[in-house]
Amino acid sequence: MKHIFFLTISAALLFTSCKKDEVIVTPETEGQTTITFDAKVGENDFALDQNFTIGANTFKFSNFRYWISGVSLIDSKGTEYKVANSYYLVEETKAVDVQEGTFTYPAKKREDVVIKGIPVGDYKSIRFSVGVDETHNNNLSLQAGELSQLSGMTNSSWMWLTSYIFTSIQGTVINGGVTKNVKAETGLNTNYKTVTLELPSAIHISSAKATGVNVKVDIAKVVDGIDLFANPTVGASQSTLMATLATNYGTKAFSVMGIK
Amino acid sequence: MLFFITVSIVVSCEKNDVRMREPQVASLLVPANFPIPVFDTGNPLTKEGIELGRRLFYDKRLSGNNQLSCGSCHKQELAFSDGVALNNIGASGNLLHRSAPTLINLAWANNGLFWDGGSTNLESQAFGPLTSEDEMHQNLFQLNDELMAVPDYVSRFNFIFKDGISSANIVKALAQFQRTLISANSRYDKYIRHETGGTLSASELNGLQLVRQKCQSCHQGDLFTDNDFHNNGIDDDFSNTAFDGIFLGRARVTFNNADLGKFKTPTLRNILLTSPYMHDGRFSTISQVLDHYSDGIKVSATTDPLVKQNPGGLPGISLTPQQKADITAFLHALTDSTFINDTQLAGP
Repeated sequence: MKHIFFLTISAALLFTSCKKDEVIVTPETEGQTTITFDAKVGENDFALDQNFTIGANTFKFSNFRYWISGVSLIDSKGTEYKVANSYYLVEETKAVDVQEGTFTYPAKKREDVVIKGIPVGDYKSIRFSVGVDETHNNNLSLQAGELSQLSGMTNSSWMWLTSYIFTSIQGTVINGGVTKNVKAETGLNTNYKTVTLELPSAIHISSAKATGVNVKVDIAKVVDGIDLFANPTVGASQSTLMATLATNYGTKAFSVMGIK
Repeated sequence: MLFFITVSIVVSCEKNDVRMREPQVASLLVPANFPIPVFDTGNPLTKEGIELGRRLFYDKRLSGNNQLSCGSCHKQELAFSDGVALNNIGASGNLLHRSAPTLINLAWANNGLFWDGGSTNLESQAFGPLTSEDEMHQNLFQLNDELMAVPDYVSRFNFIFKDGISSANIVKALAQFQRTLISANSRYDKYIRHETGGTLSASELNGLQLVRQKCQSCHQGDLFTDNDFHNNGIDDDFSNTAFDGIFLGRARVTFNNADLGKFKTPTLRNILLTSPYMHDGRFSTISQVLDHYSDGIKVSATTDPLVKQNPGGLPGISLTPQQKADITAFLHALTDSTFINDTQLAGP
């Protein structure tokens, strides 16, 4: 008995010296939560290839994609838990031609961002940014989270400016029987926006049960104040319209629908 | 039992934590007459990283059709320029809208790359020409596969970068090599450092004085560039917004009309190797360039006052034929034959 005990201890010591990260911490404390970014057009569920009326224009979308980064949760004492390496590509998209069609990024719908290892606590708000922070946006060789040059969220036209595409909406717009292609993108450091959302009530996060936050992302509010029929292309060359678009993402596009 | 346990744990320790060899940290040899370069891109220089970058720089696998390397438009014998105004050897065959810039003393170029400074650092810059259909048009996924098929690349990448071959590590290695493209061994350098062979003729010395008086507000210091952006009066109409604003100059990047028509000051180093001149290569000789500054300035709202040196702020920098000859003589003394013949900067 004594011998077995000794063996266990020495094995544990050796293990500890190998890699400090592997020290087991009490798993009962940390919890996880799922932030669901539920795309809507006003009160209607967003979908690709379906007609939506926003103002005088009718849209049919082929993609809606954006980077969510710098996620943090704030507890009832005001302490902020920052999620390391949090760069997530949230999207609902048809196949994307990357590098002028050199290769194809597959069609995909992704709305859940799962955050693990959250210290146990009562969290009352969440904070995240839309886009990529200046450090990582200025250096495309820094890899973190899901950041990649291969997901079609930067392209040569944006690389001439060294920026990821922060947000992208593509599809068609129809007005008075005339159809135009729409491409509304944001990028560049000035258009990096941070959003803080209060939860309707604090959520207790721990390993005891799964939790979730349902965030509404309203495309009607994203394009508010921009006539995408008159200006179907918004990008680096349309800096004023792009700034309006980015401000909309930062101030009104996101809201909390509920928690679970 | 005890013996077995100990051995197996020790073995797993070695595999995970002990590296037999590490890449050798390298530092740039900063010339005595240069400032200390400042860059922080999370890409520390290593001897092996620089060598890998050199191999990649000259490897045609980096283009989609495997016909072009970085060196195809940045030739060492031309101080890493291509000798033509606007090239069309890219994958699409389209004529580019800007002239291939030289690659000289890039470790000091910390105010943006490209003629309008749109790219923030060498690492990020490489993705532009690598992926553009008018240049190398390389599928980045395919490039990883192509390099993984070469055992020598696999072992080099694995040794230098812990995560092996990736798009990010390719551009990091390229950036490391490019930071070693240091030109500081011209006759002028030897003159200024009081080294053997540093003799300038009377005409060259006169040219140096003229350059200091009339040109060095922009072509500053011993880098012979301020790494800044100026409208030097070669155009006065910037209404063409085509091709994502490529004709707007710096304003494409800043979205500020005060920057219309401003382009990056190129270094005067090796200037007689790097014709034609200007961002679009419109002047084929240095004498045309000097004639432009003396008599050809076009004035618009953003024309730099530095090219309006005539009395009363009138456009132009007055230069007599003799002064132009002296300046040209001096510019010859900025040609660095060590740089263009250095085998460490040449293809493997």
